Parts: sequence; structure tokens; C-alpha cells
Amino acid sequence: MSGVNLSGIVKAYGAVQVVHGIDLDIAEKEFVVLVGPSGCGKSTTLRMIAGLEEITAGDLTIGDRRMNRVAPKDRDVAMVFQNYALYPHLNVADNMAFGLRIRKMPKAEIKTTISEVAEILGLTEYLDRRPADLSGGQRQRVAMGRAIVRHPKVFLFDEPLSNLDAKLRTQMRAEIKRLHNRLGVTSVYVTHDQVEAMTLADRIVVMNNGSIEQIGTPMELFNNPANTFVAGFLGSPPMNQLKGTLTESGAKVGETEIKLNGSVATQAGRDVIVGIRPEHVTLTAGEKTTALPISLDLVEPLGSEALLHGHFGKDSLVFKTETGGDINHLSGVGEVHVNASLVKLFDAETGHALSLGA
Amino acid sequence: MMKWNLYSRGDKFFAIVVSILIGMFTVATLYPFIYIAAVSFSSGFAAQAGRVVLTPIEATWEAYGYILTDPQFWISYRNTFIYTIGGTIMSMLFIIPGAYALSRPQLKGRRFFNLFIAFTMWFNAGLIPFFLNMRDLGLLDSMFGIILAFAVNAFNIILLRNFFEAIPQSFEEAARMDGANDFQVLWKVFVPLSKPAIATITLFCIVSRWNGFFWAMVLLQSEEKIPLQVFLRHTIANLSDDDEFAIVQTAAGFSAETVTAAIIVCSIIPVLIVYPFIQKYFEKGILLGGVKE
Repeated sequence: MSGVNLSGIVKAYGAVQVVHGIDLDIAEKEFVVLVGPSGCGKSTTLRMIAGLEEITAGDLTIGDRRMNRVAPKDRDVAMVFQNYALYPHLNVADNMAFGLRIRKMPKAEIKTTISEVAEILGLTEYLDRRPADLSGGQRQRVAMGRAIVRHPKVFLFDEPLSNLDAKLRTQMRAEIKRLHNRLGVTSVYVTHDQVEAMTLADRIVVMNNGSIEQIGTPMELFNNPANTFVAGFLGSPPMNQLKGTLTESGAKVGETEIKLNGSVATQAGRDVIVGIRPEHVTLTAGEKTTALPISLDLVEPLGSEALLHGHFGKDSLVFKTETGGDINHLSGVGEVHVNASLVKLFDAETGHALSLGA
Repeated sequence: MMKWNLYSRGDKFFAIVVSILIGMFTVATLYPFIYIAAVSFSSGFAAQAGRVVLTPIEATWEAYGYILTDPQFWISYRNTFIYTIGGTIMSMLFIIPGAYALSRPQLKGRRFFNLFIAFTMWFNAGLIPFFLNMRDLGLLDSMFGIILAFAVNAFNIILLRNFFEAIPQSFEEAARMDGANDFQVLWKVFVPLSKPAIATITLFCIVSRWNGFFWAMVLLQSEEKIPLQVFLRHTIANLSDDDEFAIVQTAAGFSAETVTAAIIVCSIIPVLIVYPFIQKYFEKGILLGGVKE
């Protein structure tokens, strides 16, 4: 068993509490991504799992063992740091062997392990080089190699890709995913990049202000965000959120009444936030769609798709549409059509998602 | 480097003034060396008459012949090596772990200890209490006393502490995750990463030990324990008012001046030999590549 369980985990620096009682159960072999804006407590949570920060209150167990007071080296976890933290005075092989030597693994065994891992990561020809002579992607791989050689129960990743350029990040993301599929080691990954979270995670944990906002699979979170924070955080561009009021038959936003898929008659008069994903609109009317008039400010072509930036009343909105290879026809867009079945509703006061009656 | 033609008039003026100042500084630093070397190879008459300026006059080895055959010279030379090597090793054994401990945020009472150590840079008990202290510890006229007494130097500790503090914390964390304890973090990560700083401090220690004069003179009485600098002092004192020597030197072709200069040259040589080996560590950039800034 090498699952990780966090129960009521609190971190406080003096009187300032930065993590407010987190409960999270990570299954063996699962890849869990902690995601959230800067300062949300995700890195602190990871560092508590690693043993680099003391746990103020609550229980941390890895496998069956309570780890609150266990030293980092005895937790059987390995960590990949944001800045790699490769020892500059050692070459690649020695960097990877560092932990094994300290643990007094026999020399021959170290050699075999290093060459196996180097093979997996494509580092065989770089074993003699120092970190300074490697590219960013190679350094990142060495950092992962250093974690892998120890065969730990749990991998911890602290924003490992944030120092790489966009292309390399995409490439390394795929490598991490492949590696996880191959090694099947329980992994906890921290990032502020929602694309990384969506692509890598078995389950995503969205954090904000030291608390968990929602836990779920990427598609669960995308399709059914629990609140406006999650709705605004996941998805690129984020979900459009408009203030409105429920009526007998839909949601009134400005002068427009948006049709909804389900009955809200009993809640008429309630103030809500209407959530519309940028990609959930069409430019032509269909069955059960509502025309939303917008004043278009800007068209951003992305190639096969384009982003339409516009205004509805005072609210700025962004929509995504396919270009069909040409964006000229988009400059005249004056309204988009919102599909009733894809509209999300949130309570205006609490921000919590509302379910629609049948 | 910009081309001279691209310099503005102000830049040219600045460059010329800087070159002149550096030139003067270089001459002021270098000339005493050259002068001493020239005197040591000159005849006693020339040196006494003040005729030596830049090159040896009436060149001769006589002064070296005189000191190199004096057994006391070799004893004090050996002692200086013992004090320098032993003292430097002793200093590093105190300074490196001390600086590491003081650089760690988790050290309890860190502010107090740092203040306490820095305090000794400006305030200390002074000559007589220190002497009495050494006497009471039974370290007067003791070679070990000299090695131990000056092992800890606040300035060097603070210098190295600052260097340790600048090492990114993730190195320590990575080493801890890899299973290293405090000693392993220090010796396997911090020390190799701090080679330039440690080399600098080592050189400081070596030079100050090598040139150590005052305390050695105060604390050591036995001739067989004195270092070279004290021997030099004795030689100068003895030769200046030694009538017998005055007769010998006239015949032999050396004088108190040339002998003194020869001892100084002999005492400088080892430091000159060591410096190039340590100098290679005085380069920055050893941290490059390990962490992405």
C-alpha cells in the first residue's frame, strides 16, 4: 500500500494559518494534481507531504504509517523541485547516484540502476556531463531521474515544468504522463497551470486560500464545477460569468432571457451567476439556443479556432469559435447563440453551483 | 569592450585617470618586493650606502649563504610551516561547521549567536587579559597554544556564513530528500559549492598564520618554538648592535640589511608558490546550471 492520506492538515506560521484543514485521500498509483493560484497553499501542502514543512495539525499517512514526525529521508518519497536543485559540482550520473550512495547501496547495483533509469529518460550519453552543460529539458529529466532511481513509494512534483519554454513543457508533460503509466508510482503534482492539471491528472484538487475548492477528475471539474472559483480557474479561456436573476422560464441577464435546460420556476427571483464556457456557443441559432447580443471588440485568430472578445453590457466576454480557415466573416458577429443544456448556474451570494430541476 | 574611438571625451578622461591610478597602485605594491629582492642579492656595502634602487648592486649570494647555514633559521622555518598548516586546518575545522550552523534558519538562537560572534570583531578583552587567559590555560610557550588560540576568526565565519546563506535552499532540501543528514549536507553539498569562498578564507588563514608575529612574540619564549617572523625580528635586533658581526660582514660581503632582506625573500616564497593553486578557485559561477534562476 502506498496511498497518501491527508486528514485535517493545517499549516500555520505563528498566528497566520495558510492551510486550513485539508482532507484528501490519494489512492495507490494515482496521479493527483494540486492546482490553484499563487499563494493558495498547494506547494505548502506538498512540502508537508515531503517533510520539508512541519504539519501544524492533522494527520498524514503514507501507506499505513503516520508520517507527521518522520524525517523526509525516511518517508520513502522523492521530490522534483521547480528549480531542479541539481548539484552543480556533480555530473549527471553522480547527481542520480547521490541518494543511493548516502543509503549505502552497493556500487554495482548503483551502476545498474543509473544506467537503467538513464536509458528510460534518454540520458545515457549525458551521464558524464555537469548540469551546466545540459539544456533545460535535459536538466529536468535528470531531476526526474534522481527521483526515480530510488524507487520511492510516492513522487512529489513541485511545479517541475514552470521554467521550461512552452514547446518543451508540452513535450515534458507527455513524458511525465508516459513515465507514470510505466512506473505506476503514486504521484502528487503541484502546478498553477490548469492545462498541466487537466492533461496529467487522474484527479485534480483545486485549491484556493488554503482550502480545497473541489476534487474530481478533469472532466468532472470541467463539466460540473462546484463553484464560480473552479469554473473560472479551469478552462482556457475561463468560463464567462454573468450576473442574472432566475425567472419562471430561464435566467434573465440584462434584457436577455437565457433559456435553461430544466425547470427553475420554483426559484424565480433568485439572484444567480450564469456561467457560459467560451466554447459552448455557436454563431448560428439552433434548437433550444438563446441569442446573446454582444458588441465585438477583437478577434484573435489561433489558427483553426479564433477567440472573440466582446462586451455584453458592462461585462467582458470571450468566446471560442472555429474559423474554417478564414476569420473575415467573424468581424461582423453581433450575437452568439447559447445552448441551454450547457449553461451553468451558480448562487450569486455563495458562488456554489445550482442544480436545475428536471 | 568598447573601441577607444567610440569613447566620449569624458570616458577617455576617466579611462586615462583610472589607468594612471591603477599604475601608481601597482608600482606602490610591487616596488617593495623588487627592492627587497634587489637588496638581498646586493653586497653589504652597497646596501648600507643606500645605492640599491631597482637591481642588485655588486650581486652576491653571501646573505643567503649566511642565513641558510644558520640552524635556527631552519627551525623557525619549520615552525612557521607547522603553525600555518596546523593553524589553517584547525581554523577550517571551526569556521566551516560554525558558518554552516549560523547560516541555517532552523538554528535556535541564531540571531543571538550571530550578534555574539560579530561582537568580537569590534570588542575584545585586549592584550593583557588574553595573555593571562593563555597563561592560566597553560598555553604559554606552547606550539599547540598558538595553533588553537587564533583558530576562530569572526570575520571569516561571517564571510562564509553569508556565502552559505546565498546557496539556494532547494539544494539542502534535495539532499535531505535524498537521505542526507546535516553533516552530509554540509560536506557533500555546501562545501563543494563553496569552494571559492573556502579557498579565499583558506588563503586569509594561511597568510595571517604565515605572517603571524605579534602574538607569537608575546606567547613564545623558547627559541625552538618561534616562527620565522619572530626569528627575523631577533636577527634584525641582534645584527644591528653586534660588533663581532660587523667585522665578519665586512669580510664576507653582506650586512644586516642584506641578511634581513634575504630572510624576507625566503619567507615570501612559499606564499607565492601556494597562491596560484588557490587562485583558480577565485572564480565565480560554480553554482551555475544547478538551479534555474
